[in-house]
Amino acid sequence: MHTIEAQERVSMQLHYDVTQHYYQEATLLQNGDFSAWLESMVARDIHYWMPVVERRYVKDKRQEPTPNDMAIFNDDYDEVKQRVDRLGTGTVWMENPPSSIRYLITNVEAFHTDKADEFVVLSNFAIIRNRAQLEHSEHVGCRRDVLRKVDNGYQLARRKITLDARVTEDKNLYIFF
Amino acid sequence: MIDMDKLVDLDKSTQSKQVFWDQDIYDRELERIFGRCWLFLAHESQLEKPGDFFSTKMGEDGVIVVRHTDGSLKAFVNSCTHRGNSVCSADSGNTRSFVCNYHGWVYGTDGALVDVPLKEKCYHDDIDMSAMGLPSVRVESYRGFVFGCFDESAPPLADFLGDWGWYLDTWMVGAGDGVELIGPPMKSILKCNWKVPAENFVGDGYHVGWTHASALEMLGGELGGLAGNRADMPFDDLGIQVTMRHGHGFGVIDNAAIAIHKKRDGYAKFMQETTPGVAEKMGGPRAALYNGHWNCTTFPNCSFLYGTNIFKVWHPRGPHEIEVWSWVIVHKDMDDETKREIVKEAARSFGTAGTLESDDGDNMVNATHNNQGRYTRSNTMDSRMGVGYEGPHPDYPGIVGSSFVGETSYRGFYRFYQEIMSAESWDAIRAKDSQWADCFPNKDYWKDRLAAKAKAGEQ
Repeated sequence: MHTIEAQERVSMQLHYDVTQHYYQEATLLQNGDFSAWLESMVARDIHYWMPVVERRYVKDKRQEPTPNDMAIFNDDYDEVKQRVDRLGTGTVWMENPPSSIRYLITNVEAFHTDKADEFVVLSNFAIIRNRAQLEHSEHVGCRRDVLRKVDNGYQLARRKITLDARVTEDKNLYIFF
Repeated sequence: MIDMDKLVDLDKSTQSKQVFWDQDIYDRELERIFGRCWLFLAHESQLEKPGDFFSTKMGEDGVIVVRHTDGSLKAFVNSCTHRGNSVCSADSGNTRSFVCNYHGWVYGTDGALVDVPLKEKCYHDDIDMSAMGLPSVRVESYRGFVFGCFDESAPPLADFLGDWGWYLDTWMVGAGDGVELIGPPMKSILKCNWKVPAENFVGDGYHVGWTHASALEMLGGELGGLAGNRADMPFDDLGIQVTMRHGHGFGVIDNAAIAIHKKRDGYAKFMQETTPGVAEKMGGPRAALYNGHWNCTTFPNCSFLYGTNIFKVWHPRGPHEIEVWSWVIVHKDMDDETKREIVKEAARSFGTAGTLESDDGDNMVNATHNNQGRYTRSNTMDSRMGVGYEGPHPDYPGIVGSSFVGETSYRGFYRFYQEIMSAESWDAIRAKDSQWADCFPNKDYWKDRLAAKAKAGEQ
């Protein structure tokens, strides 16, 4: 599902467009406009995936995790939508008062693929959540996306999220990455 | 001075809030609970071939569990007997030996010291390697679930589980070839005392409707009516909860085994196909449990939800923090597609980013950290729900509470907590085997209730 190959790098203009798209995405998410994000920026065939990555010895020949293995996120569109819907119920006590979640998206590298309208895009993130009085957590990692050009922008068709930390230093990861 | 009778009041069903905060209580827990109880290490399905190892913790001690070359399972402390460095730094893998990075001492898969660099020249060949293996840990398995224990005088694992084993057999061996655990575990930090999630899983059916209102509303299905405690439900007829000799306990919601799973075609089919066999093999009372949803804690720190099939260990990191490790339970006989479906759904609901898991963390952190306040922690916590509505049951061992919403299993958990924290030895605990249920005095609760029910049925 995530085997789409990256080919040559995109043009400066396209790279600019993709980067702007990521900033807009971050703005929607940090403003809590989850429905707008879902409707405008997420493709119906999304695979939204955060595998569990063990600490293994270099010589360990076992294969990398696949979407058939244990994962923290392993969602299709309806499942991402359920996460969004839960946040809209008004009974997520933890989000009242709401958390502040800040997205720093960097190191954007975009590549053409076999398909004219699809691009493989790599990026790094630092996502910082502050809530309650002193509660502070940081999640650092990278994303490998397949972005699809649509009429009025881009939509996310694949997102593989890799966290750098083996042990999540937070009470949960109910955050969109 | 720790006075356990004061910290846990069995007559009033209260516990001092100090049990979630005080360092001296925690230190004694490491010694008397984590140092003496059987603690979950791994599942045999993770350790099939000789050399397969898994790196874990018992209390705050790093432990390696490994399949030795002779086929047996071994566990030992992950700390070199020379100067104490770790001998294993991977989560899991397969190896012929464990080599310390500091000076290169080499240990076999049985923990024996097999090589010391420069032994002849620098130790002058004068070192008794046979006495310098890694400190070993007792290892025993129950239905493939591997536990370790630091205490030689502790009862065998099967006796430590006691009646709990009878219940566990329902799903561990009730259907087909038994179960396995799917990993690697998700791992996260929760800044709470280890007992907060342990007590929650052992018997907190009460929080489900309120804490998880948002997820239940989003999920709908059989448990949707619980959301926000809105539906008028006959709780005494929807399930039971049970506590046992050594503090293990669980609550069951009838006919709700797979209710939390949204995509469940394969799972539903499996349950339907296997239930008649479970009834035949285990009998009607356990077949009924087989189709229920269980929230459970194996004392002290191993909790799971049968049905939802998430399986967790709460590793303590001081009195105010734990590491949460989460695996998924599947039946070995299920087809691969059904296993994948269950792994996905279990992680989606109770994994690190789970739609239900995410509701619990805040409660658990606050229930711990509010006790930083000296006055706050001078007060007590209450677990009196359903006192008297519990007792021995004709079909089910242990002490059985009237409903899955009740605090029978809380009381049983803290009863044993008080006992093991006070007891000087396992002999002292064994001496009370016949009296443990005295604090549940309504011995006729189920006799009377079932008789009344039968009578009502006749009319």
